[in-house]
Amino acid sequence: MHSLLLMALSLPSWQNEQPFLVTGLALGGVYALSGVGMIVLYRTTGVLNLSFGAVGAFGALIAWQLINHSGMNQWLAYLICVLFAGVVTLLYGMVFGPPLARRDPLVKTTATLGLTLILLGAMDLLWTSSGGASRAITLPTDNHGFMIGQVQVTTTDVIGLAMGVVITVITTAFLRFTKLGTAMRAMANDREITATLGVPVRRVEAAAWFGCGVLSGVAGILLADLVALDATTLTFLVISSLAAALIARLSSVVVTFVAAIVVGVVDAALTPVTSLSNYRDMTPFVLAAVALLVLNRRRVLSLARQEF
Amino acid sequence: MAETAELTSAAHSASPPSAPPRVERDLLVRIAVIAIALLFVLIGLPQILSLYYIDAMTQVAVYSVVALGLGVLVGRVGLVSLGQAAVLAIGAWVAARLLFATSLPYEVVLLASGVITMLLGTLVGLPALRMRGLYLALITLMLAGAITVVLSSLNFPNGGHGFSGYNGSQVHIPPIRRPGIATTDPAYFRYSVIVGILMFLLVLAHVRTRPGRAWAAIRQSEPAALAAGINTTLYKLWAFALASFVTGVAGGVLAGAVRYLYSIDFQTQDSIILLAVVLMGGAYSIWGAIVAALFMQLLPAILNDIGLSPDWLTILFGIGVLQVLTTAPTGIVDQLPKDLARLGRKIGGLARRSPASEGRAP
Amino acid sequence: MSTYHVVPRARGLLAFVAILALLALAGCGSSSSKSSSASAGGGGSSSSAASSGSGATSVDTSSCGSKPGVKATGTPINIGTIDTHQPGTDFTDGPNMITAYFNCVNANGGVNGHPLKLYVQLDQSQPSQVAAAAKQLVQGDHVVAINGVFDLLECTINQSYWKSLGIYEMDAGIAPECWSTPNSAAVNMGPRYSSDGAVQYALDQLHAKKIVFVQSNVPGTGYIAAGPAALAKASGVPITAMTENVPITDANSVALNLVNAAGPTGSVVLNFTPPEALVILQAAQKLGLEDRVKSWGCSTPCNTDFLAKALGPKWNHKLFVNAELTDPDDHNGPEMQLYKAILAKYGSSVAGGVGSFSQMGFVLAKFLTQALQTVKGPYTMASVNKAIVGIKNYKTEMLCDPWTYGKVGLHIPNHTDYTTTPENGKMITVQGCFNISTADPQIAQYLSAAKAAGVSTGQ
Repeated sequence: MHSLLLMALSLPSWQNEQPFLVTGLALGGVYALSGVGMIVLYRTTGVLNLSFGAVGAFGALIAWQLINHSGMNQWLAYLICVLFAGVVTLLYGMVFGPPLARRDPLVKTTATLGLTLILLGAMDLLWTSSGGASRAITLPTDNHGFMIGQVQVTTTDVIGLAMGVVITVITTAFLRFTKLGTAMRAMANDREITATLGVPVRRVEAAAWFGCGVLSGVAGILLADLVALDATTLTFLVISSLAAALIARLSSVVVTFVAAIVVGVVDAALTPVTSLSNYRDMTPFVLAAVALLVLNRRRVLSLARQEF
Repeated sequence: MAETAELTSAAHSASPPSAPPRVERDLLVRIAVIAIALLFVLIGLPQILSLYYIDAMTQVAVYSVVALGLGVLVGRVGLVSLGQAAVLAIGAWVAARLLFATSLPYEVVLLASGVITMLLGTLVGLPALRMRGLYLALITLMLAGAITVVLSSLNFPNGGHGFSGYNGSQVHIPPIRRPGIATTDPAYFRYSVIVGILMFLLVLAHVRTRPGRAWAAIRQSEPAALAAGINTTLYKLWAFALASFVTGVAGGVLAGAVRYLYSIDFQTQDSIILLAVVLMGGAYSIWGAIVAALFMQLLPAILNDIGLSPDWLTILFGIGVLQVLTTAPTGIVDQLPKDLARLGRKIGGLARRSPASEGRAP
Repeated sequence: MSTYHVVPRARGLLAFVAILALLALAGCGSSSSKSSSASAGGGGSSSSAASSGSGATSVDTSSCGSKPGVKATGTPINIGTIDTHQPGTDFTDGPNMITAYFNCVNANGGVNGHPLKLYVQLDQSQPSQVAAAAKQLVQGDHVVAINGVFDLLECTINQSYWKSLGIYEMDAGIAPECWSTPNSAAVNMGPRYSSDGAVQYALDQLHAKKIVFVQSNVPGTGYIAAGPAALAKASGVPITAMTENVPITDANSVALNLVNAAGPTGSVVLNFTPPEALVILQAAQKLGLEDRVKSWGCSTPCNTDFLAKALGPKWNHKLFVNAELTDPDDHNGPEMQLYKAILAKYGSSVAGGVGSFSQMGFVLAKFLTQALQTVKGPYTMASVNKAIVGIKNYKTEMLCDPWTYGKVGLHIPNHTDYTTTPENGKMITVQGCFNISTADPQIAQYLSAAKAAGVSTGQ
C-alpha cells in the first residue's frame, strides 16, 4: 500500500506523459512490423519464423556495406537487402519445409532457430564489433517530418506505422479474397488434403516463404533505422515482437497489429515513471503472459490437434 | 498416435524398450560401465586436465543438471519450456543471496535454493496446465524474458545489504564462498560432479517409478491418461517442480563455481540455446543431458582454446539444430551409434569391394 | 512414423549444410583479409618512413627494437594477457596490436636478445573462465608478467591472485578494481574518470545548470556515478543519475526522457558503448532534440570516427566527447608514425586498424618493452615485476602526461585528457590536455597517496 502511494506520487504529469504516447506509437509500429510479418507466414504455412529478425538484420548489414564501402546508390542497396532476405527465406523454406512439413508446429518453429543462429554467428563474424565499431542506416525520410505537440515525428516513423497497417490490410484481404490466399489458408490447415484438391502446394508455399522473406527485408531496413543496426538487437527483437502475435493467439493479423501498438504505448508511457522505468522492458512479456492466461482460462484439457 | 506428441513419439519408436529378460544383465553391465566412468571423472580427470579445462568441466557438470531438468520436461512429459535458463538464474541468485547473508553449510544452501527455485519454477510451469506445444514454449519464453529484466534491474548479490544484496558502489567485491571441503578448483569440480550425480539419481528415481509412468502416459495422449485415472495436473506440476528443483540446485553449484555473478551472463536467448543443445544431445535419454552440457560448455572452451571465434559456435549450434530436427529427432546420443554402425558397414563394404576393383584395373 | 526413410535425404542435407559452412568459411576468410589489408593501408605510412622519421624518440632511437634488423634468438620472455572476446564485445584489437609490437621488437634485436612472446587467453565474460585463464597463464604458460589486459571483468576477479604472486598487471580495463587496487595500473581512464571528464567539460566550459548522467544498467553503476555526482556537487549544480537496460529498443523514449530531465540549460552526459550511444543520439536527432539542451556529452567510447560519420553534421560542436588518447589524425610525431608503421607492417590481425584499442595496445607494449630493458640479470617473475612497478615518468605521444606505476594502494596514472567533438564525419580535438578535477574523491585520494609514496603524478 505504502509503495503504491509512493508510485502514485512519482507519476509524471499529463503534460510530461503526452510526448511518450507519440514515441510509443512509433515503438508499437516497430513491434507490429515484425509481429505481423511473422503471423502472415504462420497463417499460411504453419511456421512461426523466428529467423525474421536475423534475416532482416543480415540484409540491412549488407545494404550498409554496399552503401558505405562500395558507394552504391542507397535505394539499390535497399532493394538488394529485400531481395537477399526474400531469397534466403525462400531457400530455407524450400530446403527445410518439405522434410518438416508433417511435423509439429513447435518443431518447425524450433528449426527456424537453426537458421537464426547460423545468420547471427555469420553476421558477428563479418561485421565485427572490434575496435568499437558501430553502424547506422539513415533513411532520407528521417529528415522530413512534422510536430505532434512537442515531439518531432519523422516520415520514417510514419512509414513504419503505415507499413504495419498496409501489411495488415493487404494480407487480410489477400488471404480472404484471392485464390492463392485461400489456398494458403487451406494449406495451413491441412497440407495433404489441400494437395489432393489440386492446389500446387509447393508453389503456394514458395510464394508464402518468399513473401515473408521480403517482409523481413523491408522490416530489417526500417528497424535498422528505427531501432539500431546491430545484429543481436535486431535478431532477438522478435522475442518482444512475439508478444503481440501471442496476444492475437497467432491467428489474427489485425489483433496482432493492435496488440503491438498497445504494447509499444504502454512501454513508452512507463519511461518517465522513475520507479518503474527500469522494469518497462517487461511490458511485452507481462502483457503476453497475462493475455494468454486469461484467454486460455476455460481450456482445461489440451487436445493438441485443435491447438494448432 | 496424436500428432502433437510427435517430438516424443519419434523417440519412442526409435528406441523401443528392451525385452524384459535382458534388462537385468544390461543393467549390471551398465552400472559397471557407469561406475568406472565416474571413478575416472572424479579421480583421473582432475589429474590430467589443465585448470582451464577443469573449470570448463565444472560448468559441464552444472549444465548437465540443467539439461537434465529440461530433458525431463521435453523428453518425459512432452512439455517444451523456453524458460529454463531463467530458472537457473533464479537458483544462482537465491544461492548467492543466502551464501552472502548466512554462514549456513553449502549443502543446506544448495537444498534451500533448490526448494525456493522449485516454488518459483513451478509458477513458470503453471501455464502448462492449460496449454502445450508451441503456445507453452512461447509463454515460458515470455516469462523468461520478464525474469531476465527483473534480475538485470535487481542485479546479482555482491555482498551488499538489503533484499537485493547488491551494492553498485562497491569496489573489491568479495567472491562467493565455496564449501570448506572444496575450495580449490579440482576439489570444487569433484564436488559439483557429486552433486550432479545425486541430481541424476533423483531424476532416475522419478523416471523409473510411478511419476515416470504417469509422464509417459501424458506424453502419449493426455485425454487417454486422464481416462486412465491419472491426475494429469498433479503430474505435470510435479515435472516442473522436479525440473526446477534440480535446476535450482545447479544454480547454487554455479554460484560457487563462478564466484562472481553478473546479470549480463544470463540472457533471455540462453534458454533458446539451451533447448537447442538439449535437442541436439537428445532429450529422451539421461545421457543426452551430458552430451548437451558438453556441447554448451566444453565445446566453446575448446574452440576458444584453439583461437576460433565464439561466433563459429553459434553457427555450429544453428547447423546442429537443423540437422537434429530434420534427420535425428532423438539427438546425438541415439543417432551417433547408428551412424557409426552404418559407417562401419560402409567401410566393411568398401573393404570387400576394393580387391575386386583392383583386380579389374588394367 | 519411422526415422529410417528420412535417412537418404539426411545425407544430402548434411552435405548441403557442409557446403554452406564451407562457403561461409571461404567468404569470411576472404572478407576478413580484405578488411585487414584495407585498414593496414589506412595507416598511410610505410615502415621505411617510420624508421627514418622516428629518430627523435627517446628510447627507440631508430625503430621499435634496440638492434635494427637483427632477429632476436634468445630464450623468449613469456607475457600473458586476458581479453574479452564474445559476440558483440570484441576487444582483441588490443592484444593483437601488442603482438604486432612484439613482432617488431623481435625482428629488431628483441629485448637484450630475448624475443617477447604474448600468451593470449580470451574469455566470454564468464568469471570462472577469467579466473582459470589467469592460473593457466601462470602455471601452464609460465608467463613472467601480465600486460595488456583488455577485459570487462578481469580486474575484479584476479586482483587477489596477482597480489599473492607479486604480479603488477598493466591493462586497459573497465572494472573499478583496475584503478582502485595496488596491483593494477591502466593506460586508459575507465568509465568513471572518463565520465568525470565529460561532466567537467559541461560544467566548466559550457556552464551547464544541470547534469543528467545516464549509463547502461550493468554492475558497478553506483561506483561510476559517484564521480560525476561529486563533480556536480562541488560546482553546486544539480545532477540526476539514470540507468538504461541494454540493448535499447525504444531509444526515442530514452532520448525524450533525458532531454526532459535536463531542460534547456542542462547537459546530458552518456556513458555507453558506441552502438548504444549512437542509438540514443540518433533518436534525439530524429526527434529534433539535439538543440533542446545546453549540450550533449559522452565518455570516451564515443570517441570514434565511426560515430562521427554515422551521426552526420548536425552534431558538429554539439556533442563533446572525453578522449583519453591523442588523436592519430591531427598528430603526427615520430611515435605516432611508428605506431602507424607497425600497424601497417605487423598489424594485419588488428581488425579495427587505427583506433583507440590499437593505440592503447601500442602504449602498453611500448612501456613493457621499455621496462624490460632495465632488468639486470635473468627475466624472472620477481625481476620483471620489479621493473614494471618501477615504471616512472615514461613518456608517450599517445597520452597527455608521462605514465608512472609505483607502489601505491590505488592507481589512476592517466588522469589528464582531451575533449573532442564531431566535425564533418571525424572527431576533432576542441580542448587540449586538462586534469580531471580533484573534486572526485578517488582522484584526490590517488594524488595524495602517490605524493606520500613519492610517486610522480604529472599534476
